[in-house]
Amino acid sequence: MAIEIPCAHCGPRPYTEFRFGGELRPLDAPDAEADFARVFLPENPAGPQEERWFHALGCRTWSAVTRDTRTNGVG
Amino acid sequence: MGSIRFEGRDVSFTDGDTVASALFRDGVRTFSRSLKYHRRRALYCGTGDCPNCLLTVDGTPAVHACQAPCADGMEVVRPHGWPSTERDLLHVTDSLHRLMPVGFYYKTFITPRFAWEIAEKMIRRATGLGALPPTTAAERSVVRYVRADVLVVGAGAAGLDAARDAAAAGERVIVCDESPIGAAIAPGAALDRVRALEAEVRAIPEITVLDGHTAVGIYEGLEVPLVADRELVRVHPERVVVATGAAEIHPVFPGNDLPGVWLGRGAARMAGVHGVRPGDVAVVVAGTEEGLAHLETLRASGVRIAAVAVPTALADRVPEGSGEVVVDGVVHEAHGGKSLSSVVLRRGTEGKRFDCDLLVLSLGLAPRDGLARMALPGEAVELVGDAAGPDATPPNGHDGTVCLCEDVSLHDLRQAWDEGFRNAEILKRYTTTTMGPCQGAMCGRALTCFARDRNGAPAGDVAAPFAAAARTTARPPARPVTLESLAAAVHELIDKRTSLHDVHVAAGARLDRSGGWLRPFTYGDWRDEYRAVRERVSVMDVGTLGKFTIGGPDASMLVDRMFPCRTDDLAAGRTRYVLSLDEAGYVMDDGLLCAVADGTYYLTSTSGGAARADARLRDLADRMSLDVHVLDRTAQWGAINVAGPHARDLLERLSDVPIDASSVPYPGFADVTVAGVPCRAVRTGFVGELAFELHHPRSRGPELWEALVREGAAWDLRPHGLDALELLRLEKGHVYLGQDTMPDDTPAKLGMSWAVSMDKEWFVGMRALERLAELPVTRKLVGLELDGAPADVADVRGAPLLVGGAMVGRVTSAERSIALDRAIGLGWVRASDAGFPSVLDVSGHAGARARVVPTPFYDPNGERLRG
Repeated sequence: MAIEIPCAHCGPRPYTEFRFGGELRPLDAPDAEADFARVFLPENPAGPQEERWFHALGCRTWSAVTRDTRTNGVG
Repeated sequence: MGSIRFEGRDVSFTDGDTVASALFRDGVRTFSRSLKYHRRRALYCGTGDCPNCLLTVDGTPAVHACQAPCADGMEVVRPHGWPSTERDLLHVTDSLHRLMPVGFYYKTFITPRFAWEIAEKMIRRATGLGALPPTTAAERSVVRYVRADVLVVGAGAAGLDAARDAAAAGERVIVCDESPIGAAIAPGAALDRVRALEAEVRAIPEITVLDGHTAVGIYEGLEVPLVADRELVRVHPERVVVATGAAEIHPVFPGNDLPGVWLGRGAARMAGVHGVRPGDVAVVVAGTEEGLAHLETLRASGVRIAAVAVPTALADRVPEGSGEVVVDGVVHEAHGGKSLSSVVLRRGTEGKRFDCDLLVLSLGLAPRDGLARMALPGEAVELVGDAAGPDATPPNGHDGTVCLCEDVSLHDLRQAWDEGFRNAEILKRYTTTTMGPCQGAMCGRALTCFARDRNGAPAGDVAAPFAAAARTTARPPARPVTLESLAAAVHELIDKRTSLHDVHVAAGARLDRSGGWLRPFTYGDWRDEYRAVRERVSVMDVGTLGKFTIGGPDASMLVDRMFPCRTDDLAAGRTRYVLSLDEAGYVMDDGLLCAVADGTYYLTSTSGGAARADARLRDLADRMSLDVHVLDRTAQWGAINVAGPHARDLLERLSDVPIDASSVPYPGFADVTVAGVPCRAVRTGFVGELAFELHHPRSRGPELWEALVREGAAWDLRPHGLDALELLRLEKGHVYLGQDTMPDDTPAKLGMSWAVSMDKEWFVGMRALERLAELPVTRKLVGLELDGAPADVADVRGAPLLVGGAMVGRVTSAERSIALDRAIGLGWVRASDAGFPSVLDVSGHAGARARVVPTPFYDPNGERLRG
C-alpha cells in the first residue's frame, strides 16, 4: 500500500505516481517456443523480482527496480 | 456540563463524562442487544474493546460509548432490537438457540428456493449494528500525508515513555491514540503516571500528539492509516512502536454476558473516575494485583463486597471487610434474568452461590497485539509495554459466550468442531468468531484456547500458521472504519477538456465522457451533422488525440521497431496508418505516423490510448538504449478535423497558399497557415471524405474554430460530434479499438494484415505473429448487413450471433447507414469445421439476420477521401 519506488531520475516516490511495467524480460527470444515462454510464462517468483516502473505522474522515465514480492520491499 | 439527547429525552452529563458514563448514571443498563439472540448487553470492558456499548452517535453507527466524550446536544440512540433496545421482542430467538445452529442460514434456507427471499428481509431487519445514514456525509474526510521517524501507537504509559525517549534521541515522533489520553486507564497510580507523562510529552515540540486518531492497520512501506473525525492521516514512519496495551481477559462461563458482569477496569473507571457505583453488592475475581487495586476502588466508592476470589499468592493481601475470601476460586456460573442476580464460585469441586448484582473480573491481561501481528517479518515494528506481555488466558468454562460481537457460544464451537472444523482458522470462518467489530480483542484467545484444548498441544511439525491452535491471522482494519474514512481523498472524476470546451458549450453541444475527456456527442441533430460531412463541410474537435514528436539520432529506429509496418520508406511529408502491437502480437492502439522533413516524426494515437502510447514508446527506447527524445504534445496541441467535399475550398479561403493534391497530398501532411494560425494539416481518411486534421497550438484553437465556422457558413457548415462520427466511420468499416476489438485481437483477426510487414528485421510483437502465422485464424472481425433489424438498429449492438442456435459471434457496432439506407454493423464470428459462417441469426431479435459482407460499406475504393 505504501511502497516507494526508487525512480532513477526523481529518487523515491510513492508508487501511486507510477505505472507498473511488470517483470523485466528480454526484448526478444531466439525462436517461437522461447518467445512464447518469454511472453506468457513469467517467472512470477515469491521473492526478489526484477521489474520495471514508469514514473507516469512525474518525470516519465522508466526505472528498473528489484522488489520482493512477499514483502514489497524494494531495493 | 450539559446534556445529550438520548432517544428523545435529555440526559445531563458532567465534566469528564463519556456517553456511556452519562447514560449509566442516568439509569440506562441495557446498552445493546446481541447480534443473533438479542440478549441484553451492558457496559463490560470500559476500555473500547468489547462491542457492548456500540451506539449511534450523531448519525455515526458503531461508536464506542465508553470512549466517546459527551458534547452538548449530541444525539445518541441504541440501534438494536425491535421495537426498542429496552423491550426487544426478538429476544425470543434466545430461547430458540438450540434450533439455530452454526451455519443456520445455509442449512435452513436452502429449500424451498423462495424461502430465502423472505427470510433474508427478516434477518437483515433483526441483525446489524445500526443503519447507515440515507444521504452522503455532510462533510468529506480529508486526507493528510505525514512523515515521521517514529509512530507510537497508543498513548498509555509505555507509549508516552517510548515517545519521550525517541524525542530525546532526536527523532521526530507522532504518538496517536484512538481515545482521549487516559480514557481507557483505570484510576489510581497507573492513571496518575499517564497524566504526568502526558503533560511532559505535550511540552516537547518534536512530539505530535494525535489523540482521537485510530491506527487501523500496518501496511508495508511502512504506512499506518489513522482514522479520525473528518480526517484520514496516512503516516509514513521509519519505525512503528506498538504500545496498544492490553485488555483484561474475557473469561468464558455460563452467564458471562449478563448485565452486571464487568471487566475490572471498566468497573473501576465507572466508580473511581466517573463516581458512579457500577453495582451495590459485588463479587470480585482478582487474579492479579491489578484486581486488588480495582477492589480498593470499588470499596472506596461504597460498593459492598460479598466475596473475593484470589489465587493463593494474593490471599493475604485482601483487605479486611471484603466479604468471604475464596482462595483459588473460579467463576463457575453467573445467574440472572434481565441482569445478574448471583454468582457461583467454585474451588475444586466445591461450589458456593453468592447473591450480588455486580461481578468484577480481573484475571490478567490479553495483549492488544493485533496491529503488530499485521507487520511482515523484518519490518521495523516493535511491541512495547503490556502489548508485548505474555498471554495469560485461563481455560474456558463449560459453556458461555465466546464471541460477544457475533454471539457465538462455546456450545456453537463444540458443534462446529463435531462437524469437522478442527482448526482455529476454519472455526473462525465457519462460526464467524472474532469477525465482529472487536476483531477478536475479546474472543480471539478464547477461540485458540478452545482449539488447543480440543487438539492437545499444537503439533510441532506443523508450520506455525497452520497449527490447529495458532492465532488467527490479523488483518486490517483493526477497528471499525466508516465509509466516509474509506472515501477520504476520493475526488470527483477529473474530465480533461480541450481548448474548445467553452465553444462547444456555447454551441449547445451535449458533452459526455469519452476516453478520459469531456467531448461533444452532438450539437443537436446528429444526422444533419452526418450530412454536413458527406455532402458539404464540417469540423470536429479532435484535440483529444494523442500527439507526439519523436526526435533524435535514433528516431527512425524507434518508429521502425515500434510499428509493424515498414517505416523506412516513408518520405518526408508523407503519413502512414500504424498499428501498435504488444509483445503477444495483440493490437493495442493505432494512429498516424508523419515523417517530418527535419528527420523527426509526428505521431498521433487514439484519444484514450495516449498515456499508454507515451509509456510504450519510452519503454522501447529505454530498453533498446536508443538516443531519442519523445515529446508528448497531447496537451500542448489542439486539432480540428475539417471534413467534407468542400473541406479544401474552406481551407483555401482561409489560407495564403493553395491546398491541393500536390501541396497536401494523400496520405501526407503540410505545415500551413490557416486563418493566421500555424497548423500542421494532416490528410486523414477516418470519416471517408476529403479531410484535413489541423494540428495547432492549443491556445489558438478557439480563433481557428470560429474562423472555420464563420467561413464555412458559405457551404452550410455544421460541426459534428461523436454520434455522427460513429456512423461515418462505421460506413467505412473502420474499427473502434476497444469497442469492436477484443484484448487478444491480432491484425489478422481484424483483417488488417495489410498493416503488417513480416519481412522487417524486427518489431514489437513480430515473434508472436510468426508463431501465430502457423495457426489457423478461427475468429475474425467482419462487416455485417442486418436484415429484419429493429427500427433502432443500435439496439442490436452487443447481441450474440447464432448459427443453428449456437453462439458463434457477437455484434460490436450497428447503425442504420444513411448513405446506403441499410442496417450495417461490425461483429466477430468464429469458424466451425465448415469454415466461417456467412449468414447468422441475431439473438434476442426474432427474424433479424446478419449477412457477412466485405467492408468498406461506403465508397469502397476510397475515391472520395482522396478527393
